[in-house]
Amino acid sequence: MDAELLELQRQFETAQNVKSSIRLSERNVVELVQKLQELKFIEFDLLHTVSGKEYITPDQLRIEMQMEINKSGRISLIDLSDVIGVDLYHIEKQANLILNDDLGMMLVRGEIMSQFYWNNIAEEINEKLQECSQIAIAELAAQLQVASELILSILEPRLGTIVKGRLEGGQLYTPAYVTRINAMVCGAVRGITVPSNLSTVWNSLQNLLQELNGTNSVSVESFMFQSQFNSLLKEGKVLGSARAGIQWTPTIFAHAQIESVESFFSQNSFITYDFLHKLAIPQPKQYLQSRFPDGIPLDNAFIHPSTVEMLDVAIEDAIENGNWIDSLSVLPTHLVSEDIAKILPHCPTVQMALKSSKAVVFGDSCIFSTKSIIEMFDKLEKELETLNHTFLTIQLKSSDLRQPKDHAAGDKADEFYESKSAGGDSGSGKNHLQKSSKKKRGKATISGKAATAETDPDIQENISSKTKRNRRKGKDTGSADNSEPKSGAKKGSSKEKEGTINIPSEEWVLQHILSLFPDLEGLGGSKDLHEVPRHLACHLRPMLMNSWKKKRDSILLESADQRRQLLESLQKQLDEAFLNFQLYAKALDIFEDEPSLSNVLHKHLLKTFATSIVDRLIRNLDTDNKLMNGIDVEDPSYVEQKTLCSADRVSMAKGLSGPLSIKAQVLVDSLQDKKVDSFINALRGVAEERGLALKKLDKKTERTLLHLYRKDLTSQVSSETDPVAFLPRVVGLLYLQVYNKALQAPGRSISAAVCRLKDKVADYTFEILTDYHTATVSLLALLSASTEDEEDCTSDRIVSKRELLETKMAELKDLILKTADS
Amino acid sequence: MEGWDPNTKSTLTQIPLLSTRAGPRDGAAWTQRLKEEYRALIAYTGMNKSNDNDWFRISATNPEGTHWSGKCWYVHNLRKYEFDLQFDIPVTYPATSPEIELPQLDGKTHKMYRGGKICLTVHFKPLWAKNWFGIAHGLCLGLAPWLAAEIPILVDSGAVKHKDDEVIASTTTTE
Repeated sequence: MDAELLELQRQFETAQNVKSSIRLSERNVVELVQKLQELKFIEFDLLHTVSGKEYITPDQLRIEMQMEINKSGRISLIDLSDVIGVDLYHIEKQANLILNDDLGMMLVRGEIMSQFYWNNIAEEINEKLQECSQIAIAELAAQLQVASELILSILEPRLGTIVKGRLEGGQLYTPAYVTRINAMVCGAVRGITVPSNLSTVWNSLQNLLQELNGTNSVSVESFMFQSQFNSLLKEGKVLGSARAGIQWTPTIFAHAQIESVESFFSQNSFITYDFLHKLAIPQPKQYLQSRFPDGIPLDNAFIHPSTVEMLDVAIEDAIENGNWIDSLSVLPTHLVSEDIAKILPHCPTVQMALKSSKAVVFGDSCIFSTKSIIEMFDKLEKELETLNHTFLTIQLKSSDLRQPKDHAAGDKADEFYESKSAGGDSGSGKNHLQKSSKKKRGKATISGKAATAETDPDIQENISSKTKRNRRKGKDTGSADNSEPKSGAKKGSSKEKEGTINIPSEEWVLQHILSLFPDLEGLGGSKDLHEVPRHLACHLRPMLMNSWKKKRDSILLESADQRRQLLESLQKQLDEAFLNFQLYAKALDIFEDEPSLSNVLHKHLLKTFATSIVDRLIRNLDTDNKLMNGIDVEDPSYVEQKTLCSADRVSMAKGLSGPLSIKAQVLVDSLQDKKVDSFINALRGVAEERGLALKKLDKKTERTLLHLYRKDLTSQVSSETDPVAFLPRVVGLLYLQVYNKALQAPGRSISAAVCRLKDKVADYTFEILTDYHTATVSLLALLSASTEDEEDCTSDRIVSKRELLETKMAELKDLILKTADS
Repeated sequence: MEGWDPNTKSTLTQIPLLSTRAGPRDGAAWTQRLKEEYRALIAYTGMNKSNDNDWFRISATNPEGTHWSGKCWYVHNLRKYEFDLQFDIPVTYPATSPEIELPQLDGKTHKMYRGGKICLTVHFKPLWAKNWFGIAHGLCLGLAPWLAAEIPILVDSGAVKHKDDEVIASTTTTE
């Protein structure tokens, strides 16, 4: 055997016999510990570490926690858990025990903080504060990562000791800084001499601090200034009053305010509210009333009674002298019209004058005495009369234009007269005309008297109305504006009524006032130079209009009376004429069996009686229309009685108004008809349109009229001397005796009428009548032939025929009269 | 070495490798190999003891060093199970690995050949063929893994009983 080999064997045996090192595994150790606990060798609790490889007792845990807390004074529980390596649950439990033992500790949001830590922090804050003079609490909270409230609670017990500063509104200030701010506030407030808004002052101070400290400085908030200001105010270092904590009024300003107000008022006897507003007095009226009890408050100013007395004296003087005065010329220029309107009630003279109607106020400031107004009114009235005179002249010219028409009418009237004589018109028409003319003359005289009588009460009314008007103006002085729209309304209504040229307009009155009284221009405080003259014109124009209106009303009243009288006379004339017309129309019934004769008779009646009725009616209606329209008529009581030509008749009919014109034209056309019935219908239409009544011919009236007609005709026959005119009267009388009818026959129908009497009268009478008729016809033929040949013996024949007719006429007259008597 | 756990790999790298390729019939060369074998076994044993992992004890029964015997043990659930260990050096060694025998466990597991020879994993033979391994390496790569794999199964199935349990059983029988 090799020796080395043996040695190796021995070494191997040795190596195998070596005791192996004891190496316990984790499991073995854990089992050992558990076994020990089970056997009660370990009586205290063991805590596992986070790694699970270590055991730790609670006491050791506490010791370690204390050491960690004391390192920095502030540590989070989570950080403790990480550092020590024990579960958070056990850490929290031990933390609570530590906090209970040490009251200086605090647990804030999972962090343990010790007093030692806070003392250090306070010292640091103090050092920083001394450097910067001011620190924001919010800034500190951000740095330390804690709440602002916590920092405040920490700092408050340490203020004055560790932290030498002042805590104000979330900011820390050094006492020196606070003193500086106080000095700034005191200086700024003392420097103010007018009421100011403190916010503005604080802003300016902030800007100043910004400039001094640069952009890095923290801005001081307004409440810092405000609190300093409040303390200064309490200490009495600044004098004045602060309203609502914002508006500052220094005492110096109050004194200056009072002095300036008193000096101004004493010097000028008045003071405007604007002046007090400039001095920052909020309620000037109450202020002045309390300070000067005897003064008079107005809308814009406050005046002394002496000013009122001075004005009162001036106004009194103006009123007594019959003048007018502008208050603006006496009072200070600062006062406006509204204020003057308020001053006037304080003037006793003005009040007395207004009550007694001695004066009127225009434009709030101009006072006119009643005397001056009356003078102006008189002058204006003269101007108005001049205007009216011009108008009357125009009317005269227009009346001159009518003269040719009248002349033409006269000529035609003459023609009508000739036709009447040729036609053998009866004398009853003439008598009627004479009667009507007499009546009209009497009426004219009566109306003249009435007109003269009516003027007297008008004058009295004018006087009384003036006094009333003055009183009204006196009452309305305080409300001049209210009266204007009323007067405007009145003007409108009056203008509607008055459509004529001769009413003066306001502008006309204004122009005449300015021309007569140039001094009135520019009065009053308003910009309109014509304000007071316009007011005066408004005042005077109703007076003028009233006077003119009364004149016009009197004229209209006269015209109304004239119209009424005209219509009444027309009614009477119409009644009389129409009754006669109906009487004559009934006579035509006798000849109904002879159409040709009937037509002749109808036409004759239309041409004579109907035409006269139509002419009279149309003329009266035309006059009535003119009176109604206000056109002046020369002498309305006298209506011309001349006959109108056909053209004039038509034109006048057309000149009437409305439906009356149409019906009048129909009436005129009916005169050309062949029957009187159409005429009667047309006449009835016109009468109804104008409200006239047409009387019907009843038996009683007919009998009365026939009786009168008989008497009249008998007297005419007995007194007739003209042999030619005698024949139709005799025939009419005979018809009346025989037929009891009123016959109006033209010359052509006499022979027919005589023939119809053949069977009715005695033979002797008929023979004589026939012979008389033949002789009359011969005479008329001779008369017509005599104009041609002067050298013939017609004159001798005429004379012989006339003598024959005269003898026969005597016989016939005796015969007829006997018959009439029987 | 892909299938081996890191601990085994680490241990294996610390066992010195052998350099002489000689069998029992090679005379002086075999003696030199035996010397190398002893050095490797000494290192492996020291290593196990320092790691508190001592698990075998062997020695050569004859002067030629061709037959080895001893004991090995395994700790399971804090109990130590000890078994007899023996193996012969084949004449073709080191080309052929020695066959380790546990006679006490003969017939108790399917992982044994007849006569108590452990059946090694299929990974062992290629590994042995490529490297210069010795007895120490064979124990580390062969027997140790086998014990770790089979003993817990045998204990749980009751095929292997701890001596303490046997003592209790005999006492009961006595009572």
